[in-house]
Amino acid sequence: MSIVDFLFYVFATISVGGGLLMVLSRHPVPASLFMIVSLVGVAALFVLLEAFFLAILQVLVYAGAVMVLFLFIIMLLDVGPQGGKAARIKLFSLVSGILLVGMLVVVLIELSQAPDTSVVDPSSNWPELAEEATANESNLTFSPSAKSFGFGLLAKYMLPLQVSGFLLLAAMVGVIILSKKFSSSEPEEG
Amino acid sequence: METVTPQHFLILASLLFAVGFLGVVIRRNILLVLMSLELMLNGINVALVAFSRSGTNMDGSLFVFFIMTVAAAEVSVGLALLVAFYKKRKSIYSEGMSLLGN
Amino acid sequence: METVALSVLLLPFLSALVTLLFLRKQGNIASLLSVATAGGILALSLFLIFAGHGETFSWSVTWIKLSGWELEFGFLIDAPARLLLFVVSFVGFLIHIFSLGYMADDDAKARYFGGLSIFMFSMLGITLADNLIMIFVFWELVGFSSYLLIAHYFSTEEAAKASRKAFIVNRIGDFGFLIGIVLTYWIFGTVSLEELGAEANFRPHLVTTFLCLALACGFIGKSAQFPLHVWLPDAMAGPTPVSALIHAATMVAAGIYLLLRIEFLFTPEALALLALLGAAMGLYAGFCALVQRDIKKILAYSTLSQLGYMAAAFGLGMPGIALFHLMTHAFFKALMFLGSGSVIHACHHEQDIFKYGGLRKRMPITAYTFLIGVLAISGVCFLSGYFSKDAILLGAYNLNLPVFIVLYAGAILTALYMFRLYFITFEGESRSKYAKQAKENSPLMTGPLIVLAILSVIGGYHALFPVEIVGALIEDIRRVAQMDNHLWMIILGTLAWVGGALVARKLYGKVKQDDPLASKAPGFFALCRSKLFFDEIYGLYVKRIQDPFARFLEVMELLFISGLMVRGSAGVAGLFALFAKAFYVGKIHAYALWFILGTLGFLAYAVGFIGG
Repeated sequence: MSIVDFLFYVFATISVGGGLLMVLSRHPVPASLFMIVSLVGVAALFVLLEAFFLAILQVLVYAGAVMVLFLFIIMLLDVGPQGGKAARIKLFSLVSGILLVGMLVVVLIELSQAPDTSVVDPSSNWPELAEEATANESNLTFSPSAKSFGFGLLAKYMLPLQVSGFLLLAAMVGVIILSKKFSSSEPEEG
Repeated sequence: METVTPQHFLILASLLFAVGFLGVVIRRNILLVLMSLELMLNGINVALVAFSRSGTNMDGSLFVFFIMTVAAAEVSVGLALLVAFYKKRKSIYSEGMSLLGN
Repeated sequence: METVALSVLLLPFLSALVTLLFLRKQGNIASLLSVATAGGILALSLFLIFAGHGETFSWSVTWIKLSGWELEFGFLIDAPARLLLFVVSFVGFLIHIFSLGYMADDDAKARYFGGLSIFMFSMLGITLADNLIMIFVFWELVGFSSYLLIAHYFSTEEAAKASRKAFIVNRIGDFGFLIGIVLTYWIFGTVSLEELGAEANFRPHLVTTFLCLALACGFIGKSAQFPLHVWLPDAMAGPTPVSALIHAATMVAAGIYLLLRIEFLFTPEALALLALLGAAMGLYAGFCALVQRDIKKILAYSTLSQLGYMAAAFGLGMPGIALFHLMTHAFFKALMFLGSGSVIHACHHEQDIFKYGGLRKRMPITAYTFLIGVLAISGVCFLSGYFSKDAILLGAYNLNLPVFIVLYAGAILTALYMFRLYFITFEGESRSKYAKQAKENSPLMTGPLIVLAILSVIGGYHALFPVEIVGALIEDIRRVAQMDNHLWMIILGTLAWVGGALVARKLYGKVKQDDPLASKAPGFFALCRSKLFFDEIYGLYVKRIQDPFARFLEVMELLFISGLMVRGSAGVAGLFALFAKAFYVGKIHAYALWFILGTLGFLAYAVGFIGG
């Protein structure tokens, strides 16, 4: 057992555990912090998979922007410690949720089972990566460098890139309008 | 402990997805529901990158890139909606959001 | 030629359309337009008649084309068509002119003249048509225009009921007609008249009695024979020129014309039946006419009687003679109807003949032309009616003696009631205030009377008419001319009308307010007045059988169709909706749970746990 495997298990525990704790915690602030932990764990997993660019992206975008946004909103809405009826997780929901999710897990795990070839040839699990990032239009081989990212985004997936640009623009405009409407009905603070 | 194969990554991805889904089903606070949604997306990201690495194809990673973009946009809009709703109803719990029912 | 024929049809149609759209309130303009149209039709018809030089002209164009079946629209202008064309357009034109005078003070002139135009369009369509379906289409249109015109004074209950009755009774006949047409197509594979004639010649075994009787149902309905004759007397509720045009000269003659068109389809049994029915109608209507008080009803029954004569002539195998009688009858019956219209107009719409009297001195033109009509219908020698009637009686005497006896009795009765009408109306003392003040009408009304009177005199001399017009008659006239017993027939005929006139003079020469026959022979009088209870029987049938059945059907329809099927299916849809509505709780978490259930279902299907 190599260090890579051990690290895998560590980071797997971190991300799943953080996720569980996030789901089960009562206060939203600890929940978001656990979420950040989980996200960083996932970033580490990306590193293990030699997708370095994505790991950095994960930390920057998800943990760095999205969760910060969540924290902003929590503090804006001044969501206090949950108590009373609204905080209680209904029993029916819990039981049915766990049952169904358990079934989902079982199915998914069964689907992901593949014939066990690692016994025969341990090196067939992870294919070798070429040194140079070779790429042509139809077949981009996986390489850890950002160059292949750039090539893929701007050559093969040019259209989705532009569309996602538009998407972000639309989201921005939408958010501005959504927040502008209600603030215009509030009395102006001095 | 055994050698980590791509299947392990897939099992991990499905576990993350399931935990996120559990959060969506049982939490009443919409903020936490949105966060669980993000957790589900992360699980999918892990699965995609695992496939990308084991199939040595860049397409999976590129798709993760787009998922992150879309998730960011979605969270921002969702939270703006939540804020607007809060200003109307003074509550962010899903019991107050059943106006479209019978 | 076909453009002329098309214009003959289109002209009245356009006139009616223009009247309908633009001239609803301008009665005067509508009337002038209609009369001008009638004149145009006359001119074009004369062109059509003479331009063909006596040859048959046929032309058709495919109107609807379905798979394996074509419906054609075409014209067949042969000898009978030319004759009827002449009669319809000429008499129609004269009646249009008469209407100008008669309807001068009517409020709804535009509607009346529009209806007249539609009627001309439909009648000319029947005349010129070359296939059975086209005839049927125009047949229905004629029925519709009759309905429209009878109901001219629709504010009176009598007119409204009469027009409904006419239409419905006609419809019953048309139902039989339609069955006949369908059968014709089934058996022969065609509905075109020319092709039918050829087929019937080649394969006579296909001709069946049932088929021709079914087709004759149209004739029975339209020409008011047994048992569908009940509508014609009631139809007198319409304006008098309408009665003259439609119910004397042309529409009722359309039935005879139809018989002529399909005469090759008739079997000897059917012909014998028709002859008997026609003769019986001739006699029965005579009895009914004898005891009527309304001048128009007398003339209506007289029309029924003469139609019976035409049917009998056809049934005896002399279709040309039937057509001949149609022509002469159109002349003198239209004359008498218009004369009665003149009298009615002068006496302020009084129609009871016992309120007339002594009108000969006050309305000489009307009186003398009416007398000519009476003489013609009674078969007085050398007037038009004599020639055609004599031919029918001669043919009956030589071919079918029982029919002759019935027809001869009918002839005596005809003279009797016609002279009765004349004596009561025009002779004697004036019996009411209006009759005392009556005076002759304008030339608009007396002009057509004079023209028709002249035609009633000379109409029988077929040699006087151009051969294009009377070509259809010549063969049968020659055939009758070669029969025996001419002299005997002249003697019998003269006996009939002289006897009838004398008895009428004796009985009705000097009358007061009541019918002298009522006091002299009350039983006989009552029997004639009952008209053999046809109306009562029909009324009873409708009230006792048809109405309850209709109510029963209504209940069934409400229960099953409205209730069970329509509301029921809506209810089933509603049930589904209720069931589906239960899912829409509005709670996000419920939706999430259903979502995961669905996802699991799909996954299970993909793995193979459930389903294919």
